[in-house]
Amino acid sequence: MSVSMRRIGLVAGREFMAAVANKGFVIGLLLMPALIALLAVAFPRLMTQRAEAIRGEVAVIDHSGQIAGPLRAALTPEAIAARRFETTRRALENAPAAVRSAAGSSSSAVQRVVGAPPELTILDRPVTADLQAEKQWLTEPPAPGGLRHLALLVVQPNAVVAGDGRTDYGTYELFVPENIDERIETELYDALRESLVSARIRAHNLDRSQVEAVMRVRRATSVTVAAGAERQTNVAFNRMLPFVFAGLLVFSVMIGGQTLLTQTVEEKSNRVIEVLLSAVSPIELMAGKILGQMAVSMLVLALYVGMGLFLLMSFAMFGLIDPLLILYLVIFFVISYLLFAAVFSAVGAAVNEMREAQALMTPVVLALMAPWIFAPVIGREPNSTFSIALSFIPPVNTFAMMIRLASPTPPPTWQVLATMVIGLAAACAVIWFAAKVFKVGLLMHGKAPNMATLMRWARQA
Amino acid sequence: MPAALELRNLRKTFGKTVAVEGMDLVVPQGALYGVIGPNGAGKTTCIRMIMSILFPDSGELSVLGRRSALEAKDRIGYLPEERGVYRKMKVGAFLTYMAQLKGISAEDAASRVPRLLQDIALPGVEGKRCEDLSKGMLQRVQFLSAVIHQPDLLILDEPFSGQDPVSVRLLRDHILKENRRGATVLLSTHVMANAEEMCQHVVMIHQGRKVLDEAMAGLRRQFDPRTILFEPIDPDAKPSMLAAVSGVERVEGNDGSYRITLAAGVDPAPVMARLAAAVAPARIELARRRLEDVFIGIVADGQRDGQSARALRESLAAGAEGAMA
Repeated sequence: MSVSMRRIGLVAGREFMAAVANKGFVIGLLLMPALIALLAVAFPRLMTQRAEAIRGEVAVIDHSGQIAGPLRAALTPEAIAARRFETTRRALENAPAAVRSAAGSSSSAVQRVVGAPPELTILDRPVTADLQAEKQWLTEPPAPGGLRHLALLVVQPNAVVAGDGRTDYGTYELFVPENIDERIETELYDALRESLVSARIRAHNLDRSQVEAVMRVRRATSVTVAAGAERQTNVAFNRMLPFVFAGLLVFSVMIGGQTLLTQTVEEKSNRVIEVLLSAVSPIELMAGKILGQMAVSMLVLALYVGMGLFLLMSFAMFGLIDPLLILYLVIFFVISYLLFAAVFSAVGAAVNEMREAQALMTPVVLALMAPWIFAPVIGREPNSTFSIALSFIPPVNTFAMMIRLASPTPPPTWQVLATMVIGLAAACAVIWFAAKVFKVGLLMHGKAPNMATLMRWARQA
Repeated sequence: MPAALELRNLRKTFGKTVAVEGMDLVVPQGALYGVIGPNGAGKTTCIRMIMSILFPDSGELSVLGRRSALEAKDRIGYLPEERGVYRKMKVGAFLTYMAQLKGISAEDAASRVPRLLQDIALPGVEGKRCEDLSKGMLQRVQFLSAVIHQPDLLILDEPFSGQDPVSVRLLRDHILKENRRGATVLLSTHVMANAEEMCQHVVMIHQGRKVLDEAMAGLRRQFDPRTILFEPIDPDAKPSMLAAVSGVERVEGNDGSYRITLAAGVDPAPVMARLAAAVAPARIELARRRLEDVFIGIVADGQRDGQSARALRESLAAGAEGAMA
C-alpha cells in the first residue's frame, strides 16, 4: 500500500498537540531555566548570610623586630577590605564588560558577596615569650565578654633581612585553635605577605611602587581572527561552548525519545493501537509519531537556543558564537533524533509496560550518555585520533562532531560531511530495523521481550 | 455483484499452534454475517487477517474487491476486540481524529460528531475527556469511531462484550441501521444468542476450522425431533402422567412448563397426539434448535449429552457470563 502523507501528517499533528497542549509540558519547559535563574539569584544571597564578620585576638611574636607595626596596619578592617577589592578588580579584568558591570565596581558590592572584613585585635608578645605558654593561650576560652583567641603568629628572625648576600628569606609560623574559619588564615597570610614584602623592599632601599610597576605585565585578551571577521576570544566561553552544544543535542534527543517511548507504551497498553491500525498502517503510525515528537523537540530546542542567544545578546557577547554552529546543531539533531527515536518507538511498541522497557533501554541510554563521558576528552583534544574516530562511529558520531565543531579548533569540512553521511546511513538502517520490530511488536502482548525476541521479529516481518 | 469479502483456504499459525486452517468464506454485499464460536476458536485471528493486521501463511482473500484491506481502508469500519481510546483526549477530538484518518475532512467530521453522539444516547459528551466516561459509554464512542465515515464494510469483533443489556440493545439497533444503510456487516461473538437474534447468516468456527456456514432463516426452521415443549392448562397436572406416555424417555422441568425428551428413533407426531390426549395442553410444540445446540451437535459429533458436549456447554455459559459481567 502506498504510504499516505496525509495520514502521517494527521498522526504527527495529534502527537504534537498531545505533547505540547498540556500543563506538564509548559511546566517542564520552564522549570530548568527557572531553576537556573533561581540559583543565580538565591545562591549569592545564601552565601552572604553566612558571611558574618569575625572578631577575635591574634598574638604576634616578632623575631624580626620590623613586622609588628606594618602588620597591625595591614590587618585593620579598612586595609583588608581594600585588599579584597583589589583582588576582585583584577579577577574581573579578564571578564567581559557586561559581567564587570553586573558584578559592580564598588567595594560595597564586593563586600556583599564575600562578607564584612574581620575585626582583629593584635596583641604584641615580647620575643622572650614562652611558645608553649602562648600555644596554651590559644586553647583557653575567652574571658566573659572577651574576644576569641584566633591565632598565634611567630615571625622568623630572617623574615625581612636574609643573611649576607643570600636570598632565602625566613618566613612565619602560624598556630590556630580547632574549628577556625579558614578565611582567617588567608587574611593573615595576605596581610603578612604585604607587610613582609614592603619591609624587604625597604631594607634594600628600593621604591615599592617602582618594583611593582616593573613586575606588572597586563594579560591581553586574544582576538580570534577568522576569514573576514575578528572577534574577541573568550577562553572560558570557548571552553564551555562544546559542552553546551553537546548538552543541547543530548537533551533535545532525550526529550523527544522519552516521550515517544511512553506514548507508544501507553497506546499499546490502553489498546488504542488496533483501533488506529484499522485506519493507518504501522509505518504511517511510526513515521507520524516520530515526526510529531521531532516537532516537539525542535520547539524545545528552538526555545533554549533562543533563550541562550538572547542572554548572549544582552551581555553583548553575541559575536562570540558562529551562527553556522546553530545550523549544524539542527542538522545533527535531526540525524541523531531520527536514529534514537526509531529505537525508542520500536522499544515502546515491543513492550507491554514501562517497567519492561527499562531493560531494553539501558544500552540506548548508555549510548546517549556516552557523549557526556567523552565530551571533556573530545573538547580538550578535538583533533586527536580518538576524537576523529568517534566522530565516525554511530550513534555517538553526531555528538562527537558537534563538540568538535564548537571547539576552538574545528574539524575539516570533509569530516563534517562524512559524519553527516555516516549518521544518515546509520539512521536509515536503524529505522528499517525498528520499523519491522514496531510492526510486529504493536500487537504482541504477554511475555516481556528481550533483544533476541526483537531480532526474531525483525526477521519475521 | 461481487462479494464484499472473500476468504479462500486461509491458514495462519503462531509457532506450533495452528490458529486458522482451511478457512473459506464468502460474504455478499449488504449481508449481515455473524461469526460465532467459543473463546480461542480463531475468530479474532480471522478478522485480523481480513484487516491485514495479521497476514495469512497461505490462502487468498479479497476485501471490497481489493486484494487487501489496506487498499480499501477508508471504506472499512473496524471495531477490534482489543479496543481503547486516548484517555486524555476529548471525545469529540478523538472521533474527529479517527474520521480524518479515514479520509473525512476536519469540518465534515466535526459536524457529524454531535449528531452521532446524540443518536447513540450520549448527547453532549464531545467536550468530555475519554477517561471521564464509563466503560459502556466508551464502547459506544468506539463503535462510532468505526462507523463515522459511513463504511461499506463494517467489521465488529465482539461488539457486545462488557455491555449491559440496554447497551447491547442500543448497539444492536445501530448495527442493524448501518446494515440497512447498505453496509456489509461481519460481526463476531461468542454469545450465540446475540448472533441468533440479529444475523442473517452465521458462520461457526471451532478450533480454527469452519464447522457451519448457513443462513439463519434455514437454521430457524430446523427443529429438534427428539424434544417437545409442553405446557399444561392445569398448572397442577402431574408430570408423571406425561412420562407414562409411550415413546417418552424423560420429562424435565416444573412450574407448568416441561421439556420432554423422546426415545431415539420415535416419530414425534403420534407422541404429540398421545401427550395432548393424556394432559390438556396450553402449548405443545417441537423444540427449535438453538444455535448453541447446533454448535454442540456439530462439534461433539451428535452426542449431545456426552461428556465433551457438557464441557462445551459449560465453557459457552462461562463465556457468556464473562461477556455480561
